[in-house]
Amino acid sequence: MSVFALIDGNSFYCSAERAFAPELRGLPLVVLSNNDGCAIARTAEAKALGIKMGEPWHLALRRPACKQVEWRSSNYPLYGDMSRRMYEVLAARVPQVEPYSIDEMFLDLTGLPDLENFCRRLRDDVRRLTKIPTCVGIGPTKTIAKLANRIAKDEFALRGVCDLRAPATRATCYAQSPLRMVWGIGGKTAEKLNKLGITSIADFVRLAPEQVRELLTATGARVQAELRGQSCIPLTLMPPPRQAIAVTRSFGRLVTSWGELREAVAAFATRAAEKLRADGLQAGHLSVFAHTNPHNGDDWYSASRAAQIEPTADTLALITEAVRLLRAIWRPNFRYFKAGIMLGDFAPARQQSGLFSTRDAVKSARAMAALDAVNARFGSGTLRPAATGMIKTWAGRQARHSPRYTTRAEEMLIAKAF
Amino acid sequence: MNYNGGNTTGFASPAGDNLEGRIDLAAMLDLSRPSRYPVRVAGDALASRGIFAGDILIADAASPPAHGKVAVVMLNGAVLVGQLAYRQQQWWLASGHPDTAPIAVTGDDAEIWAVVTGLIRTQV
Repeated sequence: MSVFALIDGNSFYCSAERAFAPELRGLPLVVLSNNDGCAIARTAEAKALGIKMGEPWHLALRRPACKQVEWRSSNYPLYGDMSRRMYEVLAARVPQVEPYSIDEMFLDLTGLPDLENFCRRLRDDVRRLTKIPTCVGIGPTKTIAKLANRIAKDEFALRGVCDLRAPATRATCYAQSPLRMVWGIGGKTAEKLNKLGITSIADFVRLAPEQVRELLTATGARVQAELRGQSCIPLTLMPPPRQAIAVTRSFGRLVTSWGELREAVAAFATRAAEKLRADGLQAGHLSVFAHTNPHNGDDWYSASRAAQIEPTADTLALITEAVRLLRAIWRPNFRYFKAGIMLGDFAPARQQSGLFSTRDAVKSARAMAALDAVNARFGSGTLRPAATGMIKTWAGRQARHSPRYTTRAEEMLIAKAF
Repeated sequence: MNYNGGNTTGFASPAGDNLEGRIDLAAMLDLSRPSRYPVRVAGDALASRGIFAGDILIADAASPPAHGKVAVVMLNGAVLVGQLAYRQQQWWLASGHPDTAPIAVTGDDAEIWAVVTGLIRTQV
């Protein structure tokens, strides 16, 4: 029988902040989205104060209880590196690890003895080496492991590990748990089934598979089979190939001038091109959008424009194309709130120029390699096209950005000699 | 061109078959290990241990604490580096100053965060 586990970091971003900042331990803490807009990670203490996931922070601050909450701007360089550390600690102890998201890893534990103690040791090791507290769910399928993980998090008495391998344990759990707790059952699906009187996981598992297929298509049938203990979703050890690269941001301050909007979109194109080259791809399709704020009473304006382009991974070429499209949708007298670019139609990057190409592919590849090498060595953004602006007036607010402790030499953790 | 000591244009380099990579300090210090963190020292209290302000310590959270080792300790909301001592069945952080009393590393807000395994000084 297969055995899967899902291990995930508790309030991962907050825990990464706390790893290096002992003064934050035990306090309510939230991490805010890009632009310091919404709460995207909350410690248990912050949840206890009623702060909701995705809650706009300026609204939360109106509640007196939230004034005492510590908050940080999101520090993705740190979270990414801590996720890498968590993965490596696991990969050294478990035969196969799938990094499912920045804070969740699926493990294949098939054939390992004394699983509960093994998982407790895993938790201790991750905690000791990366300072991230975790929970582990164990089950015969990924869907069950994910559910077990959720229960491990909710039930304090389980001390961070929940094992749902035994059918009897599962039966009790299924009878008590609402269907919407299941991975792969969205809110709408749960609602639809609730109307038919199917509210608990047990109700759902009891249905005839043909009926589930009829109600929810093959995807729903797969979820049911997984909940019944038949493993249908194997570990994925390679990330799926990219279908699209999107770089979008809401602005820290509303953007009104053409120059600022152009700089922002040029910066997005620069970042998208970096991602493209990191994957060894070139893009043949590009789209650009911009819109005003739908919530602040401004006149609504939203536009996008897309085009097939001569396939490239060249930052300057992509900026040129993006700015050309942006010019077509630009209207003055609006206050732009958000913009973005999307690349698609990928192919492996080629270094030869095509018969009809207008660009020198060899020269471009060399220039881009040099650009990427400088930025890899001296930090991203060290060398960048002037079109992206020298002063990023449009850049998001990041009022409380913690140091990038593990990725920047000048921002290392500082310890006071005693 | 990217000349590496071997790819000469005229005479073949006698070193061509014996080229080696350069000394890689990051690899020597094993900085890519998931348990290793670089930590910058503030203050000269550990001068007696040869550790000065501005030094970069390699702190390894996987290295077991031991009496006499230098460690990074999180204590009452502060990040400290000092010498570990094990006495009366518990850990203490001893100061580099003879007249500063050691403090007990106990309580909810106390953690031996990582043991120092190496030191880098970029300016001597």
